[in-house]
Amino acid sequence: MASLRRWILVGLVGCFALALAYLPPRGATPSERSFFMPQSRRGTPARQRAQALADEWRGADASLRLLRARRELQGLLREARAGTSLVVVSESADVAIPTPPIVDSAIHVAWRQLGLGETKVRVAVIIQLAVATAVHDRPAIEEGIAAYLAPDSTDRTTCIAVLPAGNYWTRVFRGARVSGRLPFDAAVLTLKTGLGPCAFYAAYGTPGKSVRGWLVSRGWDLALTVDAGARGRQGNSPIGMAEARHYSYWEPIYSLPPTAVACIASRPEGCRAAVLAGASDDPAIPFPDIVRIEQRWWRRIPRLVEGQRFLADVADEVGRDRFLRFWTSALPVDTALAAALKRPVGEWTADWERGFVQPIRLGPAAPLGGVVIALTIAVFAIVVVAGTASRRQIR
Amino acid sequence: MRIILVLLAVSGIPRVLVGQRWERQVQERVQRTIAAVGTSPGLPVVRRSGMLNTDEAASFQTTLAQHTPYAIIAVCDDDCSRLQLTLLSPSGSDIAKERNSESLPILHFTAETTAVYGIRVVMEGCRWNPCWYAVAVVPLRKNPS
Repeated sequence: MASLRRWILVGLVGCFALALAYLPPRGATPSERSFFMPQSRRGTPARQRAQALADEWRGADASLRLLRARRELQGLLREARAGTSLVVVSESADVAIPTPPIVDSAIHVAWRQLGLGETKVRVAVIIQLAVATAVHDRPAIEEGIAAYLAPDSTDRTTCIAVLPAGNYWTRVFRGARVSGRLPFDAAVLTLKTGLGPCAFYAAYGTPGKSVRGWLVSRGWDLALTVDAGARGRQGNSPIGMAEARHYSYWEPIYSLPPTAVACIASRPEGCRAAVLAGASDDPAIPFPDIVRIEQRWWRRIPRLVEGQRFLADVADEVGRDRFLRFWTSALPVDTALAAALKRPVGEWTADWERGFVQPIRLGPAAPLGGVVIALTIAVFAIVVVAGTASRRQIR
Repeated sequence: MRIILVLLAVSGIPRVLVGQRWERQVQERVQRTIAAVGTSPGLPVVRRSGMLNTDEAASFQTTLAQHTPYAIIAVCDDDCSRLQLTLLSPSGSDIAKERNSESLPILHFTAETTAVYGIRVVMEGCRWNPCWYAVAVVPLRKNPS
């Protein structure tokens, strides 16, 4: 009896622990993630409303910052010596400060590594260093979101990028000692990625209307880095880094759009749909053309796995001349891209995707072990029934 | 004499050509073309420059004096493959169009009356956007009749 009581107690404690882990807090709604994942604390409706307002404020503030920069940078760009296509300024709490030497050096190294010299579209980078003390009269800057203003919204030859440095990089840029040696290479890589669409504008100029409308409509997700680097299955995504037998591999796959999943399964029509989503015969381009990009890859839900390097890889494969023809083409995106690739877009993309992710099988399929066990049981049952039937004789 | 005329024509140009490589390229190119066609002394050369993406157009207006022969020239940078130049009447209709000379279209025109004419440039081909262009309306010396 005492033993039974103990087991009941253990069971109740277990139920309580599970409820604590999986049930949302009081007044909050559960997130739409998988039932078997720990539920995130979404907050009360009032909290959600406050966060939505803060996000709107950040968006409006970033847009204003870009438009203000457009005016402020004019003089600086005029004074910049001929042959310079990169201008770097820094600020902290909306106050201009001298650019830390390490930032200036790292971004110029990044510029050179991207193969950019004097370019038709110049790039003005504003590095926003984090403030030492928290400001309570406005929402804090979200450090992973960079904002870009397209050249056609400035003087047509300048792309402006506002890059929030975040607490870690602010400490590094200000000369604080960090563990190990100074991560200069990491700073170069971060700034290289931070150039985002501006790097594409610098490298290939302003895209034609159809390509630009396509990229704008999908937030430039296929052109986040102009320097893709070596291809391999260790990309910047949970899917690229995990193995299919692990749970962490499947969870992000279930969060992908169906076309991206179809593309992982090497289905050309899925790849084509994933790539050409947002392409339109009559693209609408906003003015001012401001793009905000989440730079933390783990917060993005990609439309195409490793899509951030898609156009960089296209350019790498087809060469500069053919890529420029695609980039400035007046043809619809699918036609222009297929012409540049000299292959149907879906087929090329399916091959490209296989370079990062092991293709998965889609559709209902019984696991091999299960099939073997089921067949064994079935055969055993048939043998038993047959044996029984053969012994049973009616006279 | 021709050299003096060229120098006179060039004197109206900013002495220091600043800006990007492509901007300097078209300024130098238009300067050379003006020098090559020759200008009439006493009449100013009207110049405009700017940049356009593929398939974009730019227009401006200028007054052409009657019975004065003009050469309207347009040049563009190395990345431009085709530039279209159109002369428009004061009412806005096309008078002449040059689209066959790829990156150096030239129109010759003598106005019947002094009026404000329109000039339109269309960037029909630019492999690296934007492409710089420059237009010059050059009054030519009248042929002795």
